Amino acid sequence: MLLSVSGEKYGYEVDLDVAMDSSLDGDAGVPHGVELLAFATAANQRSADLAATREALRAAVGDEGVLEAAATVAAFNGLVRVADGTGIQLDPSMLSSTADTREALGIEEFGGAANSAGAATAARRSSDNEVLALFD
Amino acid sequence: MDDNASHRVRSAIEFARAALVEPGDWLSGAQRRAAWMECRDARTNELDEARKAAISPAAVDGAHTATDELSAEAVEVVHRVSSDPGRLTRAWAAEMMAVLGDAKYTELVGIAATAAAVDAFDHAIGAGESPIPASVDGAPAEERPTDVGDVGAWVPQTLEAQNANVSRTLSLVPVSNRAWRGLVDGLYSRGMEFGNLTWDRALNRPQVELVAARTTAELECFY
Repeated sequence: MLLSVSGEKYGYEVDLDVAMDSSLDGDAGVPHGVELLAFATAANQRSADLAATREALRAAVGDEGVLEAAATVAAFNGLVRVADGTGIQLDPSMLSSTADTREALGIEEFGGAANSAGAATAARRSSDNEVLALFD
Repeated sequence: MDDNASHRVRSAIEFARAALVEPGDWLSGAQRRAAWMECRDARTNELDEARKAAISPAAVDGAHTATDELSAEAVEVVHRVSSDPGRLTRAWAAEMMAVLGDAKYTELVGIAATAAAVDAFDHAIGAGESPIPASVDGAPAEERPTDVGDVGAWVPQTLEAQNANVSRTLSLVPVSNRAWRGLVDGLYSRGMEFGNLTWDRALNRPQVELVAARTTAELECFY
């Protein structure tokens, strides 16, 4: 997951359980994580506390930070729908490298997991930058 | 700030918003606009709510009906993709594609995704729901790429094994794909900078990925 690998670059000890589970408290090991997670949850659930979480986030990261967080919520609201709507499989390299994490976080219980059962998708080209190759 | 985030994001949103009412691959601007309206309706639609609350969406009686611009199956696709994407199945998609064809199905998925993104952005920043623009006249492109095939997804996708599966989701519908890729680039992936794990802007890379992780968890996306 890009959260883990990017967190390592900054020396953060990222807690994926907190990142994924809105019933858990904490910052997930990321600066201003409390505010970011509260905002993301409220925006996705369209809950009544969205305005309050937005202002708390603004106080922590400023106007541009709120804009970037909103843009990320927006992008992933779309990405999950093209992924689930077209039934794509997890790429082979990701399927193997994230197996333990998916199991631990309960991601295997998500409906889309069925699409990658016995995945036979051909590997994408090798790249010097596997992260960049996701979207280049 | 090493880029103008506000300009980048807002330009991407405006371009996507315009594309949603322009002629697409196989659908007219009026049909695409109608599909966007159905995406919004899905947030409060009683049938969608009942399906979402049920142990299985198939357990709920009822069906979406055709509109002046869209067939019942087209309405069904945008409502299901909009309201409960995590529980779509290959069998359901095959049923829809048997009527719509794989390309129209894929275009409708792209409309639902794009509409979800632009509307989620407006909501998240507190701007309120923007009016849906008038549709643009003109004929859809009606061009099917020749380099698509079975790569394990429900719909044909480009056979070029150069990108991750998520980046070729809409490759069957090039007009929709261009608009979609531009939107994702502006909101999140940022072209060549995507490979850099140390963004230092208003949010650094782990902060962006934290929001992404919580969003995918909330929407129960496996990918």
